[in-house]
Amino acid sequence: MGKIKKFFRYDNVGIFFVLPAFLYMLIFVGYPIIRNIILSFQDVNAGNLVRGTKNFVMFNNYLELIGDSVFKTSLFNTLRYTVLCLVFQFVIGFALALFFNRKFAFAKPIRGILLVPWMIPVTVTALMFKLLFATDIGVINFILRSLHLINKNVEWLTTPGTAMFALICANVWIGIPFNMILISTGLTTIPKELYESSSIDGANKVQTFMRITLPLLKPTIESVLILGFIYTFKVYDLVYVMTSGGPVNSTHMLSTYSYKLSFEMFKYSKGSAVANVLLVILLIVGVFYIKATTEEEV
Amino acid sequence: MDEEKRISGKKNIVLCIVSVLILCILLFPLYWAFITSLKTEQEIFQNPPTFYPHVVNSKSYAAQVETGDFNMFRSFGNSFLISIGATIIAVILAVPASYGIAKYKFKGRKIMLLSFLVTQMLPVSVLLTPMFIMFKNLHVYNTWVAAVLADATIGIPFSILILKNYFASIPKDLEEAAYLDGCNRFTAFVRILIPIARPGVMVCAIFSFLYAWGDLAYGMTFILDQEKRPITAGIFNFMGQYGTKWSYLTAFAVVTIIPVALIFIFMQKYIVSGMTSGAVKG
Amino acid sequence: MDILSEKTFSLDNLSFFIFLPFRGAVNGCMMNASTDKPYMRKGLKERVKMKKKKITALLTAMAMTAGLLAGCGSSSDSGAAADTTGTGSDAGAEVQESPAAETTEADNSEQAAHTGEADAVTIWYYWETEGHQVALDQVIQDYNASQEQYEVTAKYVPFADFKKQLSIGASADELPDIAILDSPDHASYVEMGIFEDLTGKFDVSNYYDGTVNSCTVDGKLYGVPFGANCLALYYNEDMLNEAGCSVPTTWDELMDTAKALTTDSVTGLALCSVQNEEGTFNFVPWLWSTGATSYEINNDNGVRALTFIQSLVNEGVMSKECINWTQGDVMNQFISGNVAMMENGPWQIPTMQSEAPDLNWKVTLIPKDAEYSSVLGGENYAVINGGNVDGALDFLTYATSEEKVKYLMDKFGYISADKTIAENQFEADSPYQPFVEELNYAMPRGPLAEWPSVSDAISLAFNQVITGTAAPEDAAAEAQATIDGIVK
Repeated sequence: MGKIKKFFRYDNVGIFFVLPAFLYMLIFVGYPIIRNIILSFQDVNAGNLVRGTKNFVMFNNYLELIGDSVFKTSLFNTLRYTVLCLVFQFVIGFALALFFNRKFAFAKPIRGILLVPWMIPVTVTALMFKLLFATDIGVINFILRSLHLINKNVEWLTTPGTAMFALICANVWIGIPFNMILISTGLTTIPKELYESSSIDGANKVQTFMRITLPLLKPTIESVLILGFIYTFKVYDLVYVMTSGGPVNSTHMLSTYSYKLSFEMFKYSKGSAVANVLLVILLIVGVFYIKATTEEEV
Repeated sequence: MDEEKRISGKKNIVLCIVSVLILCILLFPLYWAFITSLKTEQEIFQNPPTFYPHVVNSKSYAAQVETGDFNMFRSFGNSFLISIGATIIAVILAVPASYGIAKYKFKGRKIMLLSFLVTQMLPVSVLLTPMFIMFKNLHVYNTWVAAVLADATIGIPFSILILKNYFASIPKDLEEAAYLDGCNRFTAFVRILIPIARPGVMVCAIFSFLYAWGDLAYGMTFILDQEKRPITAGIFNFMGQYGTKWSYLTAFAVVTIIPVALIFIFMQKYIVSGMTSGAVKG
Repeated sequence: MDILSEKTFSLDNLSFFIFLPFRGAVNGCMMNASTDKPYMRKGLKERVKMKKKKITALLTAMAMTAGLLAGCGSSSDSGAAADTTGTGSDAGAEVQESPAAETTEADNSEQAAHTGEADAVTIWYYWETEGHQVALDQVIQDYNASQEQYEVTAKYVPFADFKKQLSIGASADELPDIAILDSPDHASYVEMGIFEDLTGKFDVSNYYDGTVNSCTVDGKLYGVPFGANCLALYYNEDMLNEAGCSVPTTWDELMDTAKALTTDSVTGLALCSVQNEEGTFNFVPWLWSTGATSYEINNDNGVRALTFIQSLVNEGVMSKECINWTQGDVMNQFISGNVAMMENGPWQIPTMQSEAPDLNWKVTLIPKDAEYSSVLGGENYAVINGGNVDGALDFLTYATSEEKVKYLMDKFGYISADKTIAENQFEADSPYQPFVEELNYAMPRGPLAEWPSVSDAISLAFNQVITGTAAPEDAAAEAQATIDGIVK
C-alpha cells in the first residue's frame, strides 16, 4: 500500500498528459487572443491595416461602444438569447434523456434517430427554419392559423421581436439532442445499485431523482450548461444565415456584430473590442465554473 | 446491458407510442424540408400548404447534378477528410489531457482548465485573420490541413471538458488494482481507464467530428479552391445563387443530410451503445 | 474535369493522414511506458532525474508531432500539384512552396506540375451566375492560348465572403494579382494601399465618368471599370394591360399602378431591401430622385423618399419580405408571377430569358419624384501591388480590348463602361436599351473610403421604415447622425 501512496503523491506528472493538448491550443488560439487584445486598443481601419502606423488609442474603442446602440442591442440580445435557449434546451433535453433511459423496446433506436437534428450543419438548419418561419409559405403560420391562434400571417423573420423567437426555436432544436445525449451518457455512470437500494428504502420517484440522480449528475450538468452557454453565447452561423442580424439590427449578437464591423465595415479595432467584451463575459462565467467544479473535488 | 429491467406489456406499448410522437414532432422540420424539395415551385406557394407533394418533381435534384463546376461528391470527400482528421487530432490530444486533469492535482491545473475553457470562447471574427496568417506561414493555407488544424481547436477543449468527468468518476481503487497487477501509470491508462471511459471517448469523437462537419467559417476562409472546400461551403454558395428558390435549396439540404444520416443510422447500434452502455462497474 | 485524379489524390492523402499520427502516438506511448516502469521503483533523487528524462521524452514526442504536421503540409502541397502516384507520402520532406500549384484547376494540373514555364496570374471574382463564370473563363482561356508568358486562373470567392477574404488576405499578404470587385468598395481598398496605381496605363477617356470616378482616388486611377450596370423598373406587361394601366413615370403614378396591380396572389412592386450594400444599391435611386444626396438625408427630400417607400409597404403593394430578398430573389418572384413590377438590373435579363421565355415584360426608367435617377453599379478590375503586376497588366490590356469587352458585356448582360462601345452595343428594340438610357441618370455611390459605413446608415434607415420600427423623420435623423460622424 505504501508504494501506491507514494505513487499518487507525485501529482505533477499529470501535467505531461495535459501538455500536448495545452500547447496545441496555445499555438492556435493563444496568439489570436493576444493579437485581438492589442488590436482592440489600437485604431486600425482600412487606412492602416497594411501600411501606416497603428496608433494606440487606449480605451477609445470601448468608450465608443458605450454610445453605440447596435452594440447595446447585441449585448442584450446575446444574453437574452443564451438564457432562453439554455433553459429550454436543457429542460427538454433532460426530460428526454430520462424518458429514453427507461428500457422500452423503442428507446434505443429512437434516441439514436433523435440525434439527427444535431448532425446537420448549422447552415442547413438555418435554411430549414427560414422555410418553416416564412410568412406566406411557412408551415408554422399555417398550423397556427388552422388552430385559430392567429388570424393573419405572422411576419416572423421580418419583425424585430419575432425574428429573435425564430432564432431561439432553431437553436433549441439543435440543442435538445446535445443536452439529451450528454445527460444520457451521464446517467449511465450512476451505479444501478444506488437506485435499487433507494427503492428498497421506499423512496418514490421524485425523491430518488432529487436524492440520487441530480447530485450524481451534477458534474455532467455543470459541463453541459457551461458548454451550452459558451456555444450559445458565441452563436454565429445560425444568425448569419437566418437573419444576418436583421431586421434593423434587432437580432445582432456580439459575434455577428463583431464580424460585421471587422469584415464588412473595415473597423477592425472596434470589431475586436466587441469580441473582447464577449470574451470577458464568458471568462467571468468560466471562472465561476472552474471555482465551482474544482472546489468540490478537493 | 442488463436485460432484467426491460419494460414489457402495456406500459411498453404506451412508451413506444409516446416516443414515436416525440420523434415525429422533433423531426418534422426534416420531413418538411424533404417534401418541399419534391414539390414544384407553384405547389410550394400553394395555400393551404400540402403535406405531401401532389406532383412529385425531381427537377430540383437533377439540378444538383447539372449545376456548374460544383462537384458534390468531391465536397463530401473533402468534408469527410477534414472531419476525420480533426477528430483524430482532437481525440489523441484530448483523451490524455482530460485524464491528467481529472486524476492529478498538479500545479496550474485550474489555470489550464480555465484556458481550455477560454480557447473555445473566441468568436470566429477574432480567429480568422491570425489563424490565416499562421496557416500561410505553415504552408498549409488553401489545403485541407488548414481546416483540419482549425477544426481540431473546436473539438479539443470540448472533449476535455466532457471527458474529465468520466475519468473523475472512475474509482481510484480500479486504478490501484491495476498497479498491483503490474501495470504502470501509462499501461493502466491505456488498458483500464480508456476502455472504461469508452462511452465518453466515443461521445468526444462524435462531437469533434460533427463540429468539424458543420464548420463553415474555417473551411471557407482557409481553403480558397472550390474543389477543396467542404460541403458546407457548397451550401453557402448555393444559397447565394438560388436565394429563395426553395425546391432547389431544400433538395440540396436533403442531399447533404442523407449520407451523414445513413452512416449514423447504420452505425447507431455501435455509437449509441458505445455512448450509453459500458458504465462504471463500481 | 479530371475527377479521377482528384479522387485518387484525396484518398491517398486520407490514408496518409490516418496512419502517421497513429504511428506517432504509438511511439510516444512506448516512450512513456519505458520510462514509467523503473520510475515507480526508484528513490527520490532518481525520480527527479527521471522526471527530467521524461521531459526530454515528451519534447521529443512533441517535436515528432510538429514534424508530422510539417509532413502533412508538404504532402498536401505536392498533392495539390496532382501527385497521383501516391509516392508523395514522404513525411518530413522539405516543404516546397508552389504557388502555381495552389492556384491550379484540376484540369490543367498537368501543366502546374512543371511550374516556371509560365508566370501565374490569379484573379478573384464573386459572380455566382454560371453564365458569368463561363464567359470570364472563356476570355481567360483565349488569353492563355494567345501567349506563352502568363498563365491566368480565376477563382470564385462568394460575394458574402469577398470583403472578408480581401481584408484577411491583405493582413496576411496573400492576395490575388487581380481582383474584380464591387465598385463602391474600391475606394476602401485603395486606402488600404493594396492596389497598384494605373494612371496613364489605360485609356479611360471614353468611359462613363461615374465608372472612372469609382476607381479614382486623389486624381489617380487605381482600377479599370469592368462594365457598368444600373437599376431600372421592370414591369409585367400582361398584368399592366389587364389592369388597364399605363407605364408609370412618377411616384404618384407608380403608387396608383402598384395598387391596381396588387391582388391576392400578386404584389405590385418589389425591390431588394436587404440591410447591406445590395439594399443600399436599390434604395439610393429613390433617395436621389428627390434631390437628397447620400450624405444629406435629414431634410424634406430625404424624409419624402423614406415616407414613399414606407407607404408602399403600408398600402400593401410591396411585401415586407423584400428585406430578405436579394436581387436574384426579387427576379425569381417577378418571373414566377408573384410580383408585377420590380426594380432590378440588366444582368438579370439572360437568366429571365432562359428561365421564363414566355413572360411578357418590359423595362422603363425608375419613376421620378423631382428628377429621374438611378444608381451606377458594376465591377472594376484592380491590380494588386506586390503581385505579378506585369502579368496582370498584360491580361487587363487583353481583356479591355473592344472585342473582348463586347463579348463579356453580351454574356453578362452588362453595359460597356466605354461610351463608344455602349452606344452601339444594343439594337433599338433590345430590352437592354432602356438601361443605356437610364445610365445617363445613374450616379455612383461614393467614392469614399468610409462608404461601407455610410451605406450601412442608409440601408438601416430604409429597413426601419419598411419594418415600421421607426418613423421616416426619426430614421432620417438617426442616419444623418451616423453619417455626420463619418463624413463631418
